[in-house]
Amino acid sequence: MAKEEHELSEQQSLKLITDMIQKAKESYYDTGISPILWGSAVFLASFITFLQLQFDYKLPFDIWLIVLFAIVPQIVISIRESKFQKFRSHTDTAVDAIWIVYAATLFGLILYQNIVPSVTNKLMNAEGWRMVKHTIDNSRTDEALLPFAPSFTSVFLLVYAFPTLATGLIKHFKPMIIGAIITYGLFIVSCFIENKYDMLLSAITALVCWFIPGFILRKKYLKQKKSSV
Amino acid sequence: MFKELDPILHSQLRLAVMSLLISVKEAEFTFIKEKTNSTAGNLSVQVQKLKEVGYIEVNKQFKDNYPQTTCKVTPKGIEAFENYVKALQEYLQVGK
Repeated sequence: MAKEEHELSEQQSLKLITDMIQKAKESYYDTGISPILWGSAVFLASFITFLQLQFDYKLPFDIWLIVLFAIVPQIVISIRESKFQKFRSHTDTAVDAIWIVYAATLFGLILYQNIVPSVTNKLMNAEGWRMVKHTIDNSRTDEALLPFAPSFTSVFLLVYAFPTLATGLIKHFKPMIIGAIITYGLFIVSCFIENKYDMLLSAITALVCWFIPGFILRKKYLKQKKSSV
Repeated sequence: MFKELDPILHSQLRLAVMSLLISVKEAEFTFIKEKTNSTAGNLSVQVQKLKEVGYIEVNKQFKDNYPQTTCKVTPKGIEAFENYVKALQEYLQVGK
């Protein structure tokens, strides 16, 4: 293009501006690997948890550890991608901020889920009372209960939808917007159904929010890469 | 009375660089070179000019033991670019 400088007409200037803005837009790429990774991890953990509840079977380890272990490849992916990234768009910073807040929220919720019941139990014991499971028809003797947040997976569904919708809106990426809207619908459904099925909804959420959009991004990225060779 | 077109921006390569940088938060020198199809020497000269007038910020650092130059448009650069586009629009409206 600009190998030799010459006087530009107003039309040429405007065309040059438009072309360069378009070139910058077309240069944006997302490999799709991260959403595929997280979509697969959350899908597997949720679906296997559902199967465990459905068939009353317990694995010798906590399946949700795979979500924790997914952090390792994510770090490798992030370092690798940053090496090849030659520019940062304005939206990159906003999207990164949203996912950091999401991770902090998720971490907080997991902490809440693990700490609050035992702390509440201690407080109740200190006050001299406890929660019991009492059958209405008195067919069973009362059982002591640990405090718990009912249908807590519903809250997770709500949290999964938030960064997905925000990313979809910022990046004008319809598959994520659709995925988030479906998840809001699943959240409403989860409020009315048994906790066990919430895990099935969580698995569906992982597919519609991350796995499928990630797959679409990956396809686009590979197509773009092929055309630029 | 028409606004005079900013002579710094009214140059093919400098305008290309500014248009590219206005669309992103920051970009590497190699990216700008590739997108503007320019030579490293010519681009360096034009980038330096844009830097001197305060339209862009240039940061030089090392990434994986290789020197890396990144450019970023400044608020002054954004204002100049906006004024340039407004002036262009005025010219084009009269030309219709």
